[in-house]
Amino acid sequence: MTAVIVASNLSKYYGNVLGLNDVSLEIESGVTGLLGPNGAGKSTFMKLITGQMKPNIGRVTVRGGKVWNNPDLFRAIGFCPEQDVFYEEMTGFEFVAGLLRFHGYGPAEVRERAVRALDTVDLAKDKDRLIRGYSRGMRQRVKFAQAIAHDPDILILDEPLSGLDPLGKRKLIKLIKDFKNEGRTVLVSSHVLPEIEALTSRVVLVHQGKILAQGDVPYIRELIEAHPHMISVRSSNPRALAARFVGDPAIQKMTFAADGRTLVVETHKRDDFYGRLTGAVLEGGIEVEEISSPDDNLQAVFEYLVGK
Amino acid sequence: MATIREKGYAHWDGTLAERRYPWGPITRTGIRLAFRKKMFRFFFAGAFLPAFLALGGLYISERLEDFKALVQSNRALLRIDPKYFAGFMTNTAVLFSLIFVLVFAASGLIADDLKHNSLQLYFSRPIRKKDYILGKMSVVAFFVLILTAVPYLVLVVFKLIFAGSFQFFLEYPWLPLSVLGYSALLTVFFAFYILLLSALSKNTRYVIVLIWGTYLFSDALSGILFETFRQRAMILFSLRANLQQAGAFLFGQKLPHPVPAVWSFAVLAGICVLAAFVLHRKTRGVEVIK
Repeated sequence: MTAVIVASNLSKYYGNVLGLNDVSLEIESGVTGLLGPNGAGKSTFMKLITGQMKPNIGRVTVRGGKVWNNPDLFRAIGFCPEQDVFYEEMTGFEFVAGLLRFHGYGPAEVRERAVRALDTVDLAKDKDRLIRGYSRGMRQRVKFAQAIAHDPDILILDEPLSGLDPLGKRKLIKLIKDFKNEGRTVLVSSHVLPEIEALTSRVVLVHQGKILAQGDVPYIRELIEAHPHMISVRSSNPRALAARFVGDPAIQKMTFAADGRTLVVETHKRDDFYGRLTGAVLEGGIEVEEISSPDDNLQAVFEYLVGK
Repeated sequence: MATIREKGYAHWDGTLAERRYPWGPITRTGIRLAFRKKMFRFFFAGAFLPAFLALGGLYISERLEDFKALVQSNRALLRIDPKYFAGFMTNTAVLFSLIFVLVFAASGLIADDLKHNSLQLYFSRPIRKKDYILGKMSVVAFFVLILTAVPYLVLVVFKLIFAGSFQFFLEYPWLPLSVLGYSALLTVFFAFYILLLSALSKNTRYVIVLIWGTYLFSDALSGILFETFRQRAMILFSLRANLQQAGAFLFGQKLPHPVPAVWSFAVLAGICVLAAFVLHRKTRGVEVIK
């Protein structure tokens, strides 16, 4: 399959701050997830491929054409930025229609497309309300509407699911998948693995301006599984609880937290441990107040991967 | 075997309008948003007052016999010549009302985009940075020209109508060009001046303070420096004085300040160059690193 977006040795610096460092990447049609913690360089990468910034080193092409200073290319690209980007005193319709005018459509076509895009994101009823009165989820949806209103073949979505309620997320995920099924290219960024997982199996892990890993979700999961999970169990009697796990081959390490009430366990077999913990609670009558997994987040995965 | 994709979205077979003015949508939006402000509409209407006064004077000048009692001692004031036009167009109050209008219409042109992070949306559309800046400048140009070139060119026409002859035009054939020239100067200067200050803050209120502050402070500074150094060139620190000096030159009038007009043009051009540099730096996709 031919790559739609090609980045070759891409680097971007902000003064002394490294935004992106020697990134080479090929993105094919379908949905690709760009996964990384805040400040990893996801937005920088997206701004480079949407031509808003010029790379210091390297080259980026979209459908074979250079991106920088090539505004005609943006007829084929829809971009949904992470931050709110509104004139609050405009209505949702005016916002989408105003941006559509840059594409050269006639007034009737602008109107029709704006209404259609707003209808797609369930904002048809609220299209004449001022954006000032929109909820967080509605703002996210109107941003998505402006990105799809000109029917682009390539969609660049920077954290599109943040701020949406579960229903809104489900609806947007379905929309993005529909776009994929139409043969378009979608690049989605997120710092939440399950969000990306729900959208695609093709993931690029970005950290500190570099591509850390690239592959499908099971491969990323494997990377995660290769490192022990940390589980904190707060109990009225953590020592009795620890005694029940001594000699358990699934457990790598056990420590007590400074509060004296929390047992911290490191294990490769998280599910096995939870099973045994349930048994311990039921059989031993040990009271458990709270169970948490401090490293069950993307940041921890990245820290494992970079060997911190 | 290649995957068969189903294209579900609607293909559009229409033709795109030729984008001769890709900045047009920015200008239209800017003008439309300005007219939504009640205060703006009030000041905008008020800014035509000097032109109406000029029209009144013009009418009276042609009907001196009817207004004998009224103008007996002020005949010289009602002599319609380039000085009459220059007197209105370069008047301090006219410049003041122009700034009032621009403060409401244009102070947020870039500041609001910076505040709402809208630049990234503009620059992911088929427009260039120069289109963006041109679009914003055109908003300023629209209001400056509609308050300067349009009414005063109409006044020239009224003069001919009231006089019932082309005598006035034959005497001063270059007057419409002076009106256009001075209007163009005001347009270019205010477009750069307002956008420069609008690009310096995300807060429109600060921009308004900057616009007024810079204009008034330049006047005060010029006065203080003149009193201190007793150098006539200190007048060049005043934006108002430079505009009036350039205006008098373009209307072929005696210069109000004893410095060459070219110096005033140079100062105004310098401000425009500085503004162009700042605009170039400020209007680009920016990543905020925290």
